[in-house]
Amino acid sequence: MPLLELTNVASYYGNVQALKGVSLHVEQGELVTLLGANGAGKSTTLKTISGLVVPAQGEVLFEGRPIHKLGPEAIARLGISHVPEGRRIFPGLTVRENILLGASNRKGVPRRLLEEEADEKFTIFPEIKSFENALGWTLSGGQQQMLAVARGLMAKPKLLLLDEPSLGLAPLIVQNLFGTIRRIRATGTTILLVEQNANMALSVADRGYVLETGTLTVEGTPKELLGNEEVRAAYLGGHHA
Amino acid sequence: MEFITENLQILFTGLGLGSIYALVALGFVLIIRATNVVNFAQGDFAMLGGYAMVLFFTGLGWPYWIAFIGALLAMAVFGVLFNYGVYYPLRHRSFLPVLISTLGASIFLQNTVLYVAGPQPKPLDKLLNFDGITLGGVFLDSQYIVILVATVALVFFTFLFFEKTLLGKKLQATSQDKDMARLLGIPVALMIAITFIYSAVLGGIAGVLVGPILFVSIGMGSIIALKAFAATIIGGFGDVKGAIVGGLLLGVIESLAAQHISVPYKDAYAFLALFLFLLFRPQGIFGEKVSEKA
Repeated sequence: MPLLELTNVASYYGNVQALKGVSLHVEQGELVTLLGANGAGKSTTLKTISGLVVPAQGEVLFEGRPIHKLGPEAIARLGISHVPEGRRIFPGLTVRENILLGASNRKGVPRRLLEEEADEKFTIFPEIKSFENALGWTLSGGQQQMLAVARGLMAKPKLLLLDEPSLGLAPLIVQNLFGTIRRIRATGTTILLVEQNANMALSVADRGYVLETGTLTVEGTPKELLGNEEVRAAYLGGHHA
Repeated sequence: MEFITENLQILFTGLGLGSIYALVALGFVLIIRATNVVNFAQGDFAMLGGYAMVLFFTGLGWPYWIAFIGALLAMAVFGVLFNYGVYYPLRHRSFLPVLISTLGASIFLQNTVLYVAGPQPKPLDKLLNFDGITLGGVFLDSQYIVILVATVALVFFTFLFFEKTLLGKKLQATSQDKDMARLLGIPVALMIAITFIYSAVLGGIAGVLVGPILFVSIGMGSIIALKAFAATIIGGFGDVKGAIVGGLLLGVIESLAAQHISVPYKDAYAFLALFLFLLFRPQGIFGEKVSEKA
C-alpha cells in the first residue's frame, strides 16, 4: 500500500480548473519530485493533499484512508506536514517560537520536550541558531526557508510536502538546502518535493512526475526523466526563473 | 502647591477612566488582530458585564465577589455565543459583512437589555467598603484605586498569557497567518473563539469596574467603545501596547481638559485628540507607517 495515493483528482481555483485528473502515488520512504512550469498545478496538488484546497473529484488516500474531505488541521494531525511556497514564517513570532508551533499537530507533548526538540533542530540548521530570538520577518530568504523546513519537521511528519524550497535563493544556499533535504530523507522521512529547479530536484529524488497544465504527462526515475527528450527540452535545457 | 495637588487629583481620575478605555481597547485590538474586523459590539460587552453584575448582586443578592465571578463566567459564555452567532457564520466573507454583523449585534443587545431591564440606569456598589484615602492632599477614591490595580493586573496577565504560553503563541500565529496556522494543526476556529471569550471577559470586567462610577446603563458601552476605538487609533491601530497607552492618554487628556477648559465638552476632547492624531500622526503612537498590511 502506498503511503500517499491520488486517484483522478480534479481541483478548482475559483472557476479555473487547476488539476485535471491527477493520479500519483508516493511509497513509504521515497523521495518523489513533482516538476513543471509555473501554473502547471504543482502547488495546487500539494494544497489538495494538505487540505487547503478541496478536490472537486477524485480521491486522496493517506495510509489507505481517504483524507480529501478533512480540513488542514485534521490532515496535519495524521502526520502530513506541508512547508508551503513562500515559507509563510509567522513574522511577529521569534524563530524559536515558529519552530515550537511546528509541533501543534501533536497532542499532549510537554513544553520541555518541545524545547529540547527545538534545540535539536538548531543543530540540524546551525545557520538559524544565532537568530533564535529574532522575529521571523527579520530573517533573509534562505534563513526563512531553513526555518520553514525546521518548523515542518517539528510535526514529526510521516510525509513532508516541500513546495519550491529553492525559490529565490542564491545557488550556494540551494546546494546547502538540498544537502539538508538529503539528510532528512536519510532519517526515513517520506518527501514529496515540488520544484522548478528540475536538475536539483532530480539529483535527490527516487522518482519524478512532470505536470503540465493540470495533467501528469511523464513519470519515471531521474535517469529516465533526464533521458527524455521532451522533458529535457522543456525543463532541463532552458534557464530557470 | 494647590495647583499641583489639583492636577495630581485630575491625573488620578484620568488614569482611572483611561484604564477602562484601555481595557475595552485591548479587547478591540485582540479581535482586530485575530479576525481583521472591528467589533462594534465591544462596548456592549462592558454594558452586559455591568448588567450581569447588577443582576447577580443587586437582583439576586449574591455576595459581591461571587456575583463578580458569576458576571465574568456569564461573559465567557456570552463570548462563545457571540463568536458562533455573530462571527463564525461569516468567517469566510470579507471584513464588511462581519463588521455589519457586529453592528447589528450591538443594536440587538442594547434593545434586548432595554426590554428586560428598563431604561433607568442602575446604581452599583463599590468593590471596597470605604470611600478612599487622602494622600498629600489628593483624594484617592477607592473604586479608582480598584480600577487601576485591576487594570495593571489584567495587562500583566494578558502579557504573560500571550507571550509566555504556547496557547498565547498559537493565538498570535492565528492572527498573523490563518492558513499557515491550520497547516501546522492549530485549531483556528477554536483560537478565534478563545479570543472572543477573552475579549468579552475583559469588556465585562471593565463594565463591572466602571459601574459604580458611571452607573450601569444601556448606553454606557457606546460612549466607552467610541473612546476606546479612538484610543486604538491614537495608540497605533492593532497594537496591543498602543491600545493601553492610548486608553490611558485619552482618559488623562479628557480629565485635564474638562477641568481647565470646559466640563460640558468633556466627551469632545477625546475626539479632538483623535482628529489631531489623524492629521499629524495617523499611524498612531506605536504604529508603523504602512498603508496596508502586506
